[in-house]
Amino acid sequence: MTVFKAFLKVLNRYKGTVILYTVILVFFAGFSLKNNENGTSFVASKPSILIVNHDQEEGITQNLVQYIEKNSEQVNIKDGEYAEDDAIFYRDANYIIYIPKNFRDDFLQGKNPSIDIKSTGDYQASLAEMLLNRYLRVANFYFKITNSEEETIQLTENTLAEQVEINVTSKLDVNRLEKVATYYNFTNYCILAGCIYIVCFILSSFKEYGVKKRTIISSTPYAKLNRNLLLSNSLFAIALWIFYVLISIFLIGDVMFSMHGLFYIINSFLFTLCALTFAFLIGNLLQNKNAISGLVNVIALGSSFLCGSFVPMEWLPSSVLTIAHTLPSYWYIKTNECLKIVEVFDMETLKPILFNMGILLCFSIVFVLITNIISSRKRKIG
Amino acid sequence: MLHNFKYTFITLFKNKALIFWTFAFPILLGTFFQMAFQDIENSEKLHKMEIAIVENERYQNSPIWKETFASLSNENNPNPLFDIFFVKEENEATELLKKDEVVGYLKLEDTPKIVVQKSGIYQTIFKSVVEEIQEQEILYNAWVQKNLEDHFSGNSQTPIDATWYQNLYQEMIEQLNTETKVQDITRSHLSYTMIEFYTLIAMAALYGGILGMTAINQVLANMSEKGKRMAMSPISKGKLVFSSVMASYFVQLIGITLLFFYTIFVLKVDYGNHLFQVVLLALVGSFAGLSLGVATASILKVSENTKIGVILAITMLGCFLSGMMGITMKYIIDKNIPMINKINPASMITDGFYALYYYDTFDRFYNNIVSLLLFSFLMLALSIIYLRRQKYDSI
Repeated sequence: MTVFKAFLKVLNRYKGTVILYTVILVFFAGFSLKNNENGTSFVASKPSILIVNHDQEEGITQNLVQYIEKNSEQVNIKDGEYAEDDAIFYRDANYIIYIPKNFRDDFLQGKNPSIDIKSTGDYQASLAEMLLNRYLRVANFYFKITNSEEETIQLTENTLAEQVEINVTSKLDVNRLEKVATYYNFTNYCILAGCIYIVCFILSSFKEYGVKKRTIISSTPYAKLNRNLLLSNSLFAIALWIFYVLISIFLIGDVMFSMHGLFYIINSFLFTLCALTFAFLIGNLLQNKNAISGLVNVIALGSSFLCGSFVPMEWLPSSVLTIAHTLPSYWYIKTNECLKIVEVFDMETLKPILFNMGILLCFSIVFVLITNIISSRKRKIG
Repeated sequence: MLHNFKYTFITLFKNKALIFWTFAFPILLGTFFQMAFQDIENSEKLHKMEIAIVENERYQNSPIWKETFASLSNENNPNPLFDIFFVKEENEATELLKKDEVVGYLKLEDTPKIVVQKSGIYQTIFKSVVEEIQEQEILYNAWVQKNLEDHFSGNSQTPIDATWYQNLYQEMIEQLNTETKVQDITRSHLSYTMIEFYTLIAMAALYGGILGMTAINQVLANMSEKGKRMAMSPISKGKLVFSSVMASYFVQLIGITLLFFYTIFVLKVDYGNHLFQVVLLALVGSFAGLSLGVATASILKVSENTKIGVILAITMLGCFLSGMMGITMKYIIDKNIPMINKINPASMITDGFYALYYYDTFDRFYNNIVSLLLFSFLMLALSIIYLRRQKYDSI
């Protein structure tokens, strides 16, 4: 109990940091979870397009604007070149269409007026470009045949309204699961940083010269002290894990009560164990209190960046992923990524997931073994 | 004065934790950024996608579909859009879809039908292309009808046979392909991940404030034993403070220079082509960091660790608002609450580099330089007010 009380006292001193990590988690996860559409029927992606119309909004111009607006997300941007260029740079708008003055008149005279655009060059912009080109081609074509603005508009509208039948096979709510994966990927950083930070500070508080001398000569056996320390640190880690799971239920909702949710929770538990044992190892290796925050940042940020916690794994170059194989975070995040596309839980789909979980366990065991070897060597002080 | 400069310089360099945070940490973080972000922009470009097509009778007999898909998947094309698996039966296509080897598949019945596994941008593009081809059929019919009308009203002698239809089709395709005139006037330099590295420079510049703070603490009688001894010495306080501050500025510039070399030569960060302005911004940015440190050291009467905490918190909050943890944040703030980033030194530095990189004009850049200088002088003025005439009868 004495050990536990001391533990709580130290924990209380560093609670600010844990709160900070949690706030970051909720903030970022909340940010990426905000749109909540159901994903079992087909939803066409809509690029963000800004239309800067220098022409009168009439006739063919108006029809073009309406067509683009119908098939894109509208962006609200202040007038002016800086605002527009900033919007393109920060991908607020994927595409800007500048409809020139006299577009309608020139179009009706068959001059085929040129339109200026700005584009981010990514796939959203490609889609936007397809939209614009499609409209112009069809409208030009009909105008050539009919030579009448009214008919052109009518025919163009009819033709462009033709839809192709599209079916979605997956019965999974992919968007929701994507969000669960994003959330749990992010917890990689918080769990790792939280565990290492707290465990290291607690261990180093017990290793302070005076404190250590007193505990060594006290009647409490060394093994008992160690056991209590391990227990209270584990309690802390588990509390942290439960806390993050509760937040995920609060933020994401009922998906967490499905089979998928259960596996996400188990996986995060295994990772918490791994983080705890790793933190214990570092706490035992470290002598200098000043080095802790530096080390926490390097390890937690490093494995989060390299293993796809902040940037989705599919966007990381393969060389980075090869290095990432040596880190527990990689196996944790890989399971999260695997889980989101599992449709039926059977032996075949579970095999890679269980394999990754097994590796996480192996990491934990190795960390415990190394810690034992090191701490038994370090017990004596002069 | 020179003596104090030299020894401040040496003590700062010997402080390992300090050198880690101001020198090594930005370099490490930059390396992580580079590893994580190097492929992002590339993976956001439109890449060739795999699709399957059920080659049934309807498909075989419709030249529009066959030819268009042939040209869209032609390897000799500079940017082929599709990589097509042709299958005989629908269940083969379903199998491919299940294994995630294709984005979706197309089957022509009376009307075309697309099957995909989930919604997404590639699926939308696939659908959009199919609709466009379907459109061509409609346009072709309208075109044929118009030509037939012309033909009969104009008493043309050309026989209406397969060649006639073939020619009409060719004419239509040619028309469709030459019609649109769209001109791209986007600025070059669109790599938004650069912002991450600019915030990194901003962070390093502001972290430099810790150096300035440490140097000032050494002169303050209420902060250290050394400060007490210094206060006793017969040298004017102004000189002591000035030389300490200059020494820490010097250390800071060494750190920033290292970071610049590292980001330019190893990480290949693009700062634009205006060397003079980049150096100017680095000097002024570091100066702002220094003044922040000096002000924190002089105004707050708290322990050294709390002072460090304050500088770290201000720096991290500033960097967060200027886009370090998500580039969009800077844009959101700039767009909605521009005032915040006008008083945020991290954002002034980041925005300065951004203006140099993206825009051709310098007005936005010099705006940032002037704001940074104003910020620095305000901080220094506050420090002077607090530092002057500080005397202790006993301490």
